[in-house]
Amino acid sequence: MSVISLKYKSKSGNLTAPGDVDPGAFIPIATTTLTTSTATISFTGIPQNYEHLQIRGILRSDRAGQPKDQLRMQLNSDTGSNYTTHLLSGDGTAAYAAANVGATFINNNSVTGATSTASMYGTVVMDILDYANTNKYTVVRFLSGYDTSGAGTVELDSGVWLNTAAVTSISIVTIGNMIQYSQLALYGIKRAGA
Amino acid sequence: MAYTYSKIASYTVGSGGVSNVDLLAIPQNYTDLVLKMSIRFDQAYEQANIDIRFNYDFGSNYSVRRLRGTGSAANSDSVSGTSITIGYGAGDTLTANTFGNAELYIPNYTGSNYKSVNGDAVTENNATAAWAVLQAGLWSNTAAINSISIICGGKWKQYSTFTLYGVKAEV
Repeated sequence: MSVISLKYKSKSGNLTAPGDVDPGAFIPIATTTLTTSTATISFTGIPQNYEHLQIRGILRSDRAGQPKDQLRMQLNSDTGSNYTTHLLSGDGTAAYAAANVGATFINNNSVTGATSTASMYGTVVMDILDYANTNKYTVVRFLSGYDTSGAGTVELDSGVWLNTAAVTSISIVTIGNMIQYSQLALYGIKRAGA
Repeated sequence: MAYTYSKIASYTVGSGGVSNVDLLAIPQNYTDLVLKMSIRFDQAYEQANIDIRFNYDFGSNYSVRRLRGTGSAANSDSVSGTSITIGYGAGDTLTANTFGNAELYIPNYTGSNYKSVNGDAVTENNATAAWAVLQAGLWSNTAAINSISIICGGKWKQYSTFTLYGVKAEV
């Protein structure tokens, strides 16, 4: 492989220039695909040797009488009021912004519910950068949405876990139960030299 | 064995901070680029621009269309100028230890058309006010992208990280 040199021209810092291009940086860690309705999907024992994490998924719940449900994320089994979420969404008619401060979870609203058009699932990509960095609180960015050919939502959301601990586990619940064929896949994105 | 998603380089800001991060000599053998950033800057604001410039082009060759949320209100606007503002980084008046989370996707960066990009960036804060920005941008230049400059008005703070990935379309 050819040597790649990326030069940093501003004030000195910790530039990590790879000798060779690092192949295969996007690594699947674990995937959960539901075969029956389930309250919680958890990823535990998350390896600490990646730079970032990404979760990709499709979700639908059995939340009765509702066209949509809410994804709720907790990290490292922290059930305290140590989370804040900010939401930016559009429903095809208007755009909205909101905040949920000092909550017991980070939330996202792109899960289809029991009264949503059959077989329609919400889609979500969650990015957790520098998840193992103990100099930072954990910030999660969500890009998500669904369209049921008549209703839907598109969202860019963020959440912060007010703790500098490295993330070792992630739990996802909804207000109802997540139903069969819902799926979440966890990926690790390699760091320099890994 | 070929790989479809490869890390090209990463940079972590050291003590004292830095004003610009320049990624130069970007290899030309990928299809798309992805830039992931976990960032905080040193100015006493809630947020400031994350500005992107390609190939040191300082001309008025950039435009962007944005959807923005503040935690309590949403709006949309468009901006033209000498860089693409892909969103906002976390300023030093936001909750301590909290860094913004941003991604810029640059498809077909070696192509001979104008370069369309898209990005999303969030700041976070243990209060109502925080920014989320979803943007679609354009660099009106047909040159292949060989450098990316990431600029803020002050300095990127220690522990800010910038990681560039290449994505190949063919195995």
